Amino acid sequence: MTDAFRRDLVTLVPKLRRFARSLVGNVQDADDLVQAACEKALRNAEQFRPGTRMDSWMYRIIQNLWLDERRRTRTQGTAIDPDEAYLSDEGKAARLPEDRMMLAQVTDAMESLSLGQREVLALVAIEGLSYTEAAEILDLPVGTVMSRLSRAREALLPKLGLSEGRRQ
Amino acid sequence: MNRPTVMDKVRLAAFVDGELTPEDAAAVVMHLANHPQDQAYVDDVIAANAALSQAYTSVMEEPVPDTMRHLIMGTTPATNVLPFRTKPVVRSAASLLGGLAVGAALAAGLVVAVFLPAVDPHDLKPGPMAADFPLIPVLTSLPSGAAQVLADGAEVMILATVPTPTGFCREIEVTHAEAGRLQAALVCTDGADWNVAVVLAENLADAADADGFGTASGDEAQSFAPFLDRINAGAVLSPQEEAEAITRGWTR
Repeated sequence: MTDAFRRDLVTLVPKLRRFARSLVGNVQDADDLVQAACEKALRNAEQFRPGTRMDSWMYRIIQNLWLDERRRTRTQGTAIDPDEAYLSDEGKAARLPEDRMMLAQVTDAMESLSLGQREVLALVAIEGLSYTEAAEILDLPVGTVMSRLSRAREALLPKLGLSEGRRQ
Repeated sequence: MNRPTVMDKVRLAAFVDGELTPEDAAAVVMHLANHPQDQAYVDDVIAANAALSQAYTSVMEEPVPDTMRHLIMGTTPATNVLPFRTKPVVRSAASLLGGLAVGAALAAGLVVAVFLPAVDPHDLKPGPMAADFPLIPVLTSLPSGAAQVLADGAEVMILATVPTPTGFCREIEVTHAEAGRLQAALVCTDGADWNVAVVLAENLADAADADGFGTASGDEAQSFAPFLDRINAGAVLSPQEEAEAITRGWTR
């Protein structure tokens, strides 16, 4: 492992923390996730191919660790069907005040999404990756990324007070 | 006819996400001109992207946590993590009262210096800094979170910068490792001169007696809080705000 690898990884930490927070919602848990991902990256540094994007490689590690953690703690919380979640919120979002874009509201909205929806939204809308890059990280077809994004936004927009929901 | 289908929404979102070819994007732009409902949806997606980005942007301005940095770099905490500073062996009533007195004095805005034990002649002292004081170049140019070793071996770290009605104050820590002493100070400027407003000093614990580690910044920030409140200091500057202040030469 080279010093350059370590330095590049340190440089990436803020982005990794942002990605982890968008997935986890809890600062400490997110940092624990990033730390675990860094430990794993250091153990498997030889698997990283120089010349490829380290951020994508790290996003994938974080995503896998997060899913593993979710599987271990699957019993906690109540499952929400994100495709239906906005229906139970009908009318409520429209009454939100002007400051509906506050962090708590955004994070709450993110946490109401399914894991898959949260992943694609975090990678595309927050990390700014292309659909293709997100698909590679998540090991999904691009079409699946697009449909998940669409459903994620269907659920997210009303919770942000941005849309009346499904407009047909 | 004008209402978007689900596919249309995917396409509109792809437009917002920059996924369309220039030709397709141009076609969407033309379409939006005649379909205000779709334009509203595009606006919503743009707003949602902005809200998401904004909600998680603060972490990008935070320094990399020391634990992560040392983990990645394979280093041991040494540069800005000091041996745990032991508190008085017995928290006697006298020591508690002493602490209260310092707090009260700070709250009252008095310039306070607490030295344990004897004062080194090179130590910081409350009052104006001489123009050639070796700390001044550090104060004027070093960003928060950075450390610099002075010619006498003392290590200076800038902990934070806050704005005041007349200028800025910078919280600093000066570690005299050989002397086993640590000074924390609040040094303020009006854009011209630097003035040591508050100094606190402690002994560094003997490493052999240390039972852990504590970050270099700790109780000092709390100790300075009453003084900063009294002078109506603002919130800690962001790295960008601080960089601008450095560029401007600490003028408001």
